[in-house]
Amino acid sequence: MIETLKGNVLKAVHIAEKDAKIYFFKGPNISFGLLFPAIIYLAFSVGRTAEASVIIPGLVAMSSLFGAGAIESIALPLERAKGTFDRLLAAPISLTTIIVGKALGGFFFGIFLSIGYMLITLLLPGAVIANPFLFASGIVLSALTFSALGVCISTPFRDVPQAMPPATLIRVAMVFLGGVFIPISAMPSIIQFIASLLPVTYAVDMLRQATTGNIILQSIVIDVAALTLFSLIFFAVAVRILKRTLH
Amino acid sequence: MGVIVKAQSLTKQYANVLAVDHIDLEVFEGEIFGLLGPNGAGKTTTIRMLTGQTKPTSGTATVANYDIIHEATKAKQQMGVIPDISNVYEEMSAWDNLIFAAQLYGVPKMAREKRAKDLLELFGLYERCKDRVVDFSRGMKRRLTIAAALIHKPKLLFLDEPTTGLDVQSLRMIRSLIKELNEDGVTVFLTTHYIEEADQLCQRIAIINKGKIVTVDSPEKLKASIEKRQVIEVSFTMSHDLEDKLKGLSCVKDVAILGDKYRLHVEEASEAVPSLVDFARKNSLKIISINTLKPSLEDAFVKLTGLSPEFMKTEKEPVKKKEE
Repeated sequence: MIETLKGNVLKAVHIAEKDAKIYFFKGPNISFGLLFPAIIYLAFSVGRTAEASVIIPGLVAMSSLFGAGAIESIALPLERAKGTFDRLLAAPISLTTIIVGKALGGFFFGIFLSIGYMLITLLLPGAVIANPFLFASGIVLSALTFSALGVCISTPFRDVPQAMPPATLIRVAMVFLGGVFIPISAMPSIIQFIASLLPVTYAVDMLRQATTGNIILQSIVIDVAALTLFSLIFFAVAVRILKRTLH
Repeated sequence: MGVIVKAQSLTKQYANVLAVDHIDLEVFEGEIFGLLGPNGAGKTTTIRMLTGQTKPTSGTATVANYDIIHEATKAKQQMGVIPDISNVYEEMSAWDNLIFAAQLYGVPKMAREKRAKDLLELFGLYERCKDRVVDFSRGMKRRLTIAAALIHKPKLLFLDEPTTGLDVQSLRMIRSLIKELNEDGVTVFLTTHYIEEADQLCQRIAIINKGKIVTVDSPEKLKASIEKRQVIEVSFTMSHDLEDKLKGLSCVKDVAILGDKYRLHVEEASEAVPSLVDFARKNSLKIISINTLKPSLEDAFVKLTGLSPEFMKTEKEPVKKKEE
């Protein structure tokens, strides 16, 4: 049992390594994962003044949202179009291991980008992260959730041009509805309800509390639970979609 | 010999298309088994079901006594799979492709490097093992795909149209390799639409058409099954537009055109030859050559399926995205 689990974890890691080798520095990955968050943020913040405590969690959450999902928006549909995904299907690996392996690549890329954006934003005047441990936990949980979301969104598609528009639309909508730019409390009640259904809301909240140090334990517990639950749901849905595509 | 692949009433329905229709198959350990049929007959779907890449709509199948649905991982560990289109990662080197394949099959680290080196040498790719596969020729990609399928020393190899679209040199190399692997004890299950390939390589053949198995037997027995009819090949000085006239001869049962020759299926060659001489005289033709032949596998295929041999030569639509 333990040997099987260990074997599956290793195979998932090998899939992630392979994805990293092939896709980390692909053009669409750089543009969507690395540049897109910065462009959106700049477009929104021109002419406005925002404090570092708002910019840091917003940009880091957004970089994780776009970065962690960017690889799989490309890798999964591209591999299905080229037939290389069949290598994984023909190998002695469970579908869950394939999905976990695919998500792991995005997970590490999401963490890498989040740390990059965190370091850049820390150069802003007055920038400080009050609770680094909580912030690091927020980065890890956000990358986990958004990489699972990326796999979930891209699994049904068999080509990159099909996969990119819905993947981008969902993420952009999440950015505007999830409190990245505007605090949720300042939004109309219907938008607040929609925001409560989005993982990015909890990621931003967790990172914001870690940045400011104004920590409400109950709120952090809800953020951690929500992000964990979203991750599990996204993984389960992705596996189910993959199973259906085999029928 | 034990049974290594067993399919019972295996069926695959895609929306309104019945791709594979309740097929029963048994492949014995140590043999080269061929699934012969035209494009669209259900060969690839059958192989995808047997290798766990798609779920059957109904029916069961086992590979090395493991159920392909409920014990898919164990079944897959026993087999190597070579799809109809080379599917190695073009962005990686040949070496990295083999190492990744070994990792997927759980080959221990020390063994995987030695195995990768041996296979690259065997397939004549070692000199270019660090080059990215995107720069490889189609034949080289095909060889690498086969090498990747052999990395874990499988006891059973599935090959889907292994030689389609290859140059003569690669084609010969791969056919020879299939024979060598079989001699080393690997059971081979291949699909092909090349009748000649099935005849040369396979110990037993299943002919599949429109998703159904028409017959399963050895090539020689399939030929013998239609031997009660004899075949004559004849060519005349003026060899065009004679098909209908030849069909009109009472001794001739069927006519096929092969280049400048006519292949005639007759009941009794000794009676047909004088009739043909007479036919030539009456039509002011000279006979250039006349030969009596044993029925070929192609003749057996035509008789069993009712399909033209020309239909079998139709290649699949090229899939540009996959081949790039």
